[in-house]
Amino acid sequence: MTNFAHPSEHAALLAESVADFVRRGTTVARARTLREAGAECDRAQWRGLAQLGWLGVLVPERFGGMGLGITEAAIVAEGLARGLVPEPFTATAVLAVSILVGADNEAFMAEKLPQIVTGKLLPAVAWQERAGELDPGATDAVAVAFEGGFRLNGVKHFIAGAVDADAFLVSARHAGDLALFWVPRDSAGARLTQQRLADGRSSGTLGLTDVMVAREGMIASPAVARAALAQALDRAAVVVGAELVGVMGRALELSLDYMRTRVQFGKPIGSFQALQHRAVDLYLQQELATAVLAEAVHALDGGLDGAPRAALASRTKARASEAALRITREAIQLHGAIGFTDDCDVGLYTKRALVLSAWLGNATAHRRRYARIAAQPGGAHD
Amino acid sequence: MIDYNALTDDAFRAGLRVFFEANYPRHLRFLPRRMRWHECRDWYLALSKKGWLAPHWPPEHGGMGLTPGKLIIYFEETERAGIGRMPDQGLTMVGPTIIRFGNDAQRRKFLPPIIAGEHVWCQGYSEPNAGSDLASLQTSAVLEGDEFVINGSKIWTSMAHDATHIYVLVRTDRQAKKQEGISFVLVDMKTPGITVRPIRNIAGHEEFCQVFFDNVRTPRANLVGELNAGWTIAKGLLGFERLNIGSPRRPLQALEQIEVLARARQLGDNPAFVERLTELKLDLADLGSLYARYVDKVRRGEALGPDVSMLKIWATETYQRLSELLIEAAGEYGAFEGEIPVGDASVDILSPFYTSRPGTIYGGSNEIQRNILAKYVLKLPG
Repeated sequence: MTNFAHPSEHAALLAESVADFVRRGTTVARARTLREAGAECDRAQWRGLAQLGWLGVLVPERFGGMGLGITEAAIVAEGLARGLVPEPFTATAVLAVSILVGADNEAFMAEKLPQIVTGKLLPAVAWQERAGELDPGATDAVAVAFEGGFRLNGVKHFIAGAVDADAFLVSARHAGDLALFWVPRDSAGARLTQQRLADGRSSGTLGLTDVMVAREGMIASPAVARAALAQALDRAAVVVGAELVGVMGRALELSLDYMRTRVQFGKPIGSFQALQHRAVDLYLQQELATAVLAEAVHALDGGLDGAPRAALASRTKARASEAALRITREAIQLHGAIGFTDDCDVGLYTKRALVLSAWLGNATAHRRRYARIAAQPGGAHD
Repeated sequence: MIDYNALTDDAFRAGLRVFFEANYPRHLRFLPRRMRWHECRDWYLALSKKGWLAPHWPPEHGGMGLTPGKLIIYFEETERAGIGRMPDQGLTMVGPTIIRFGNDAQRRKFLPPIIAGEHVWCQGYSEPNAGSDLASLQTSAVLEGDEFVINGSKIWTSMAHDATHIYVLVRTDRQAKKQEGISFVLVDMKTPGITVRPIRNIAGHEEFCQVFFDNVRTPRANLVGELNAGWTIAKGLLGFERLNIGSPRRPLQALEQIEVLARARQLGDNPAFVERLTELKLDLADLGSLYARYVDKVRRGEALGPDVSMLKIWATETYQRLSELLIEAAGEYGAFEGEIPVGDASVDILSPFYTSRPGTIYGGSNEIQRNILAKYVLKLPG
C-alpha cells in the first residue's frame, strides 16, 4: 500500500495499523454521516488518533510525541485518506505542529505540544490571504506592539480544520518582517466564518479586529517565523500529496474492481482494450505521484532545505493534485451512470480530491512556483 | 578502485564535468543522430581507460557500480556535455544479461571485450513477420553436434553494420508453445552466411538494418541460459531495455535544445510557452523520480517486473511531447531541415522529433506495454 516509504518492517506495521484504524470505525459511512451533519471532527475519533500516538508523530519525544519523520506522517495521512477520514490530521498534526516545532518559543512549545499530542488542544493555521499565493511572507495582516503584547488586524482565508479549532496560529507582519502568533478561538475581535467545501468539510475565514495577544503569545519571532512557516508549508504540501495518493489509490482500486465485475456485451468491461489502456494511464499517473512522493519524504527526512526543498514539495503537490483529480474524474466515467450517483463512493473520493488539490496551492500554483525556483541559478536541482 | 558512491554529489558531478568537457570531441556534441562506431571509438576507449564506461555495471566486471542518485548525475552530465549515443547494446543489454543469466565461461569470454571496445553488439529480435508479436519469430537454429545452424532474417537491427557480434532469439523447438521453443544465442558477425543490409530511416539516416542468416554456424557454448529458455531471458532483458529506454537522458537532451532556443528567441516572456515548458519540465523531473525507483530495484538485485513498462511509456511519450514543443517554439523555423543558427548556438529543430518517434514503437510498442500493464499489473480480464 505505502510503496513510497523505503521498505521496512516499521513502515509496514505503521501502514497496517492505520488501515486497521480505518477499518474499525472510521469507514466511508462515517464520512457520509459527518457530511450530513456539516461536521468534520468527531472528538472520540480524534482521541483515538491521539491514543495511537499519531497526533504526535512529528512532535519531539521530550514533548510527549513520537519524534518521527515526514515519512511516517505521510504513511498515516495516506491511510486515513484512503478511508476518507475527515478529521484534520494534516492541518493540525503536520502543519500546526511543524510551525511550533520550527519556531523559537520553547516555553510555548513545552506548554502546547503535549496538549496537542493528547488531542486536548486542536490548533489550525491561519496564514493565507489570497488564492494562489504561496509565499508565506505575502501578508497584509499586521501585529503592532502594544502594552506588553501585540494588537492584530487582518483577514485570513482558506483555513483547514477551522471548524473544530481551539486556537489559530496566525502570521502577521511585525517589525518589518513576519511573525507568528497564537490566537485562541474565543479571543475578543476574532471572528470565524465558514464556507462549505465539496467534501462536506469547511474552509475557515478568520477576521481579526484589534485582537490582543499577550507577549508570550508570539510563537515565532521575526528571526525565525518566515523560515518556520515556509518549512511547515512544504512539509504539509508533501503530506497532502500523500493524502492525495491515498485518495487516488482507493478510487482506482474501486474502478478496477468494477471493471472486473461489470458485464456488458457478455464480457467484463475490463476486457475492452480501450478501457484497459485508459486504466493503465491512470495507474501510471498514480505511480508517478507515488515516486515523487517517495523522493520527497526521503529528502525531507534527510534534511533537504531551502529552494530545493520548495521545488520538490511543489513537484509533489503539483503531480499528486493533477493525478488525483484526473483519476477520480475518470473513475466516474469508468463506473458509468452509477458513478454519477451520490450512493457511489467514487463521488466521495472525487470531492475529497477536489478539496485536497485546491488546499495549499493547486497544481497550477505549484507549477508556477517550481518554474520561479528553477529560474534561479541552481534552484530546482533536486 | 575508487568508490564513486562515497563522493559527495557535487564532487562527483564536478569530476564528470571536467572530464567530459576536456575529452569529448567538440564536433560530436549534440549530434542529431546516433553515433557510428568509427566516430565514437576513441571516446569509448577514453571512457573505458578512465573506468567510466559502464556506470551501472558492478565493479567486479569493470563497472562503476553507481547508486541511482549518482547514476542520474552521470546521465545529467552526459546530456549537459551533449554526448551522443554510441552503439551501446553491449553495455546496456547483453552485458547485464550475461552477468545475470550467463555462465562463468561466458562472463570471462564476453564481458572484458565489451569494456575494452573490442566487441560491438547488436540485437537480433524483430523479424519481418514478428514485430509486436515477437514470440511468433521464425528464425530457426538446429543443433548439429556442438553447433547451432541458424537460418532466417532479423530486421530493425540498430547498428548491425557496426557490430562485431549479435545476440539472437532463435526458434529451437517448433513443436512447443511459441514462447517455449525460443533460445538466446550469441553469434560472431564474421561467421560465414551473415549478410547485413542497411535501411534508411525517416530522418534519412542508416541506423537500422536487416540481417540475413544463411546456414550460420555458432558454437553451442554460445547458448545463454537453458535451451528453449530464451523467452524468459529475453523478457528479463526487456526489463533492462525498458529501464534503458526509460532513462531521462534522451528527453533531457531535447529539453536542453528547447532552452537554447528559448533563450535565443526570448520566449521566457511568453506565458503560454513558459507554462507548457514547466509542465514538461515537471513531467521530466517526475520521470527522474520514477526512474530512480527502478534503478534502485536493480541495485538491490531485484528482478524488474512487468510494471517497468510504465517507465518506458512515460519516458518515450515525454520525449515526444518535448520534441513537439521544440517545433512549436521555433515558429516558422519549425519546418527547417538541419541545424539553424540561434544566437551564438545552433539547434537542429527536427532532430528530436525524428529520434523520439521509434521509442514508442521499439522494445514493444507502447500499445503492447499498455496491454502488459493491464493484464499483469492491473489484473484486468483478457
